[in-house]
Amino acid sequence: MALLSEGGATPIALDGARKSRGNLTKARIRWVILALIIVFGTVAGRLIQLGSVVTETTIEGQERDLITASRPALLDRNGLEMAVDIRVPSLYAEPRRIIDVEEAVQKLRTVLPDLDEDWLRKRLTGDKGFVWVKRELTPAIEDAIFALGLPGFDFVQESKRFYPGAREASHVLGATNIDNQGIAGIEKHMDDENVALLQSLGLARGNELAPVNLSIDLRVQHVLYEQLSDALVRYQAVASAGAVMDVRTGEIIGLVSLPDYDPNNPSTAFEDYNGVKNQRFNRITSGIYELGSTFKTVTLAGALDSGKVRITDTFDARYGIRFGRFTIDDFHGKHRVLTVPEVYKYSSNIGTIKIMQALGKDDFRAFLSKLGFDKRASIELPEMRDPTVPAKFSEIVAATSSFGHGLSISPLHMLRAMAAFVNGGNMVPPTLIKRSEAEARQLYEPVISPTTSGYIRYLMRLNALEGSGTRMNKAAAGYRAGGKTGTAEKVVNGAYSASKSFNVFTSAFPLDNPRYAMIILVDEPKSENAQSGHTAGWNAGEVTGRVVAQIAPMLGISPDFNEMLDANLVPVEIR
Amino acid sequence: MIKTLNAILVCTSLVGLVGVYALKFQVEDTAGAKAALERRIERQQASLSLLEAEWAYLNQPTHVAPIVARHNEVLALQPTKPTQFAAMDSLPMRPVVQLDTTALDSLFESLEAGVDPIEQLIEASEDDGTSL
Repeated sequence: MALLSEGGATPIALDGARKSRGNLTKARIRWVILALIIVFGTVAGRLIQLGSVVTETTIEGQERDLITASRPALLDRNGLEMAVDIRVPSLYAEPRRIIDVEEAVQKLRTVLPDLDEDWLRKRLTGDKGFVWVKRELTPAIEDAIFALGLPGFDFVQESKRFYPGAREASHVLGATNIDNQGIAGIEKHMDDENVALLQSLGLARGNELAPVNLSIDLRVQHVLYEQLSDALVRYQAVASAGAVMDVRTGEIIGLVSLPDYDPNNPSTAFEDYNGVKNQRFNRITSGIYELGSTFKTVTLAGALDSGKVRITDTFDARYGIRFGRFTIDDFHGKHRVLTVPEVYKYSSNIGTIKIMQALGKDDFRAFLSKLGFDKRASIELPEMRDPTVPAKFSEIVAATSSFGHGLSISPLHMLRAMAAFVNGGNMVPPTLIKRSEAEARQLYEPVISPTTSGYIRYLMRLNALEGSGTRMNKAAAGYRAGGKTGTAEKVVNGAYSASKSFNVFTSAFPLDNPRYAMIILVDEPKSENAQSGHTAGWNAGEVTGRVVAQIAPMLGISPDFNEMLDANLVPVEIR
Repeated sequence: MIKTLNAILVCTSLVGLVGVYALKFQVEDTAGAKAALERRIERQQASLSLLEAEWAYLNQPTHVAPIVARHNEVLALQPTKPTQFAAMDSLPMRPVVQLDTTALDSLFESLEAGVDPIEQLIEASEDDGTSL
């Protein structure tokens, strides 16, 4: 007991055996828990690490999805394919997995002998994860390369654009590059619109994209192509182009511009043509020209619609008109007093200037704006050029403009205006995508009255029956076609040249109930033979006639030789 | 008690182990088969797209026109002339047939009465010994 009382010290407590074992167990449990935490922590850490590894999906900076992405098929208005996607194998290599570069090079060259040996060796050496070896091969070559059994080589099924019609619709379709992205024509337009977005979202794989129906009719396109190719040879022209438009819906059912290129091989677009550079552009949309006498239709439409000129009026075309030191005279001069239909029929420059002056140059300029001649004509093609129309007309510029000199517009502008002149006066924006008449009606923009439209139809038909369009009418007999010629002298070294001309024929058919408008260009034509001329009626006009005769039956327009149809076109005032 | 429980647990874990591994290999097999199928589908789609492209090519006017031109000696095809078209409306109507009703009536009456004019004719010709 003495021990207990000494110094009040803590009493010594001896743990029992059970207690000490319990402490030991606690310590062991702690160690086990620690060990478990470490083990599971490692596992969790590794899981997070694995989860955060980003597998490389890009192929040389390009999304893999983007390469295998497809484009919607392009069909003509009747469902015939104009552009389709084909799946082709492309060979790639993973250099870090190649064991023997030299062996690979030698073996590969047995199948692909056109690959450069040094280039291939350099390409396959190194630690890269992906390099293209050769893209867009055939399934047969794919099998042959598989049979080589080389490690580190594999194939990706790429989409490649194929144009079964080759050159026929090149300027409509455009082209795509090796990554299947649109670089020209409607292909580029579609990319700018939405296809590129779909592809970047990875939504454009397989057959998920609905095909797009174009407004083009392949049969019409073929006839146009054949006839314009024929014109190049027949008239030894440097270029020819043409387009056909449905006047009610604004659909372009055929568009050809020669020289052209092969969209399956887009580099042909940059080839020289007869030694001249940059000739293979789309003359219908991205060429701007002085369209010559075809512009008289525009002047007359504006003047007749204003009411300041009536169809019964007469104009003195006896003497040329002087502007300072220039005198403007007629090409086929009649030099007498002409009625309005005669001014058109004889293509009188003097008469047209007088008609324009009766309308007033500012009203004339305003009418051109109304027709959209100072802005680009909208269409689903990126190839466009701004028209050059002076903002304000001086007396002389207004005078020359009235017969199509001194201002340049694209043939598409003229085609759109012609369609509006014959369809009852409603201008409708041209399109390359199929469109119904009901949809088109929403876009109608009245530019002239239905009465004026009737006058223009009469004048165009009259010109085909008695004026410069007779050669066209002979070829297209029965289809009630009519139109206006334009022979514009080309500017050579800053002066108008008498020998080189730019010939145009604008037309519409059947004029008793117009359905289609057409424009045909022939650049620098020569006389077909010694007896024939070189003005537009002889070449552009004849081409138009031959095209009409072939396409009208395809488009469901039956020939009719009833003379009453023409007689009904004559306005009541001059019957 | 504990021992039996342990035995059961060991058995279950063994069964589980075998089961999980079997499943794993089965899934690997299925994945392999899936990959093979996908590859086959891809190749078939590729050849299908080629066939479709070929079909489109064969249907093009650019392709058909030269064939027609080449065989034109045999086919002798020519563009239709405007004068060769005609509308249904321009066809004359079928001429109206005037039925001789009185003659028909008398024929039916004689047939009903048991007299067949044709039979009489045949008999008459047989009597003459001539054939019709």
